[in-house]
Amino acid sequence: MKKILTLALCAMAFTACQKKTETTAENGTTTDTLTKQDESSVQKTGYSIGDEATDFSLKGTDDKMYSLAQYKDAKGFIVIFTCNHCPYAKAYEDRIKALDAKYKPLGYPVIAINPNDATVEPEDSFELMKTRAKEKGFTFPYLIDEGQKIFPQYGATKTPHVFILQKENGKNIVKYIGAIDNNHENPNDVTEKYVESAVDALVKNEPVKQTETVAIGCSIKVKK
Amino acid sequence: MMKKILICGFAFLALACSKENKKNALKPQEIALSTDYSNVFEKFETSNDTLYVVNFWATWCQPCIEELPSFMKINEEYKKDKKFKMILVSLDRSSDFDTKVKDYISKNNIQPDVYVLSDNKRMNEWIPKINKTWSGALPATALYRNGQQLFFTEGKISYDDLRNTINKFM
Repeated sequence: MKKILTLALCAMAFTACQKKTETTAENGTTTDTLTKQDESSVQKTGYSIGDEATDFSLKGTDDKMYSLAQYKDAKGFIVIFTCNHCPYAKAYEDRIKALDAKYKPLGYPVIAINPNDATVEPEDSFELMKTRAKEKGFTFPYLIDEGQKIFPQYGATKTPHVFILQKENGKNIVKYIGAIDNNHENPNDVTEKYVESAVDALVKNEPVKQTETVAIGCSIKVKK
Repeated sequence: MMKKILICGFAFLALACSKENKKNALKPQEIALSTDYSNVFEKFETSNDTLYVVNFWATWCQPCIEELPSFMKINEEYKKDKKFKMILVSLDRSSDFDTKVKDYISKNNIQPDVYVLSDNKRMNEWIPKINKTWSGALPATALYRNGQQLFFTEGKISYDDLRNTINKFM
């Protein structure tokens, strides 16, 4: 008798607890409307390595219009989507200047583009871009992607986001997409300089070894 | 005699149930800084039937801060279920861990475990391990169970979308 009772109680204990989780599960499965977003394979937009990059005509902080075509002597470009507000972008400002100083003479100038909408991120307004460019003494054009038409074509998703282009038969071909180096926080502890390695290879007419890298960045702020 | 056994039995029953349900609630919040991504990944890539909701964020990331209240609301709704666990992975600077991150957690009543992941030099290694489509832009959210990723999205996710996604897998 005793045995039966304990057995019954054990069973009860088991089912009692089980019931609780069951009901929460039931409550949980009532809605099932997600369709597109729940697939982990989100369609990638923008350029892949080897694609031809579009030219543009964008206004710089010096109020002049810039396009890639006007750089007749350039062999390619280091196009960097960057901005004022993002701590990652800020951490790289001096390194972006150094890239321009090193590679402009070799035919690969830096072209910086702010892709953010100022109504979403007021710190990235054209006026404050001017202030920032002056304060930091930018040696490269700092352009505003007015209307936010250019960054989606490139497939930039964050700041900073680098696209290295090389001229081939008058076309600007994408050779590298990704990060500047492998340590945003401490420039003295960088062990891989992705952009420098890529441009060094292009200058020597060698293939780029690491054509794509990823790093954390600030998402691009799209007008609502 | 019979009565005694019955009383004992019910006491046992009540105990068994409360013990199970309190298992998660009693666990104190974990807030830690890690310089090795594998130590953080093992918190949600574990072989059990818990559904892990992992959000990658930072205190400096405006869209992250905007979506966190929805995450806290959802955590409040689901946290009693022992098969649900939310984990926040912050990409703040390690030097901001004791200041900005902890301040943010206490001021905003952030209850899930928070790990500041400062494995900077291996970003190009661990970001694709989370998802090969992830560009590294914040925020990002992933769902895991039994070490398998069930869902991943880059960018903000609304309360309704997150809730629907969780319900789908609960």
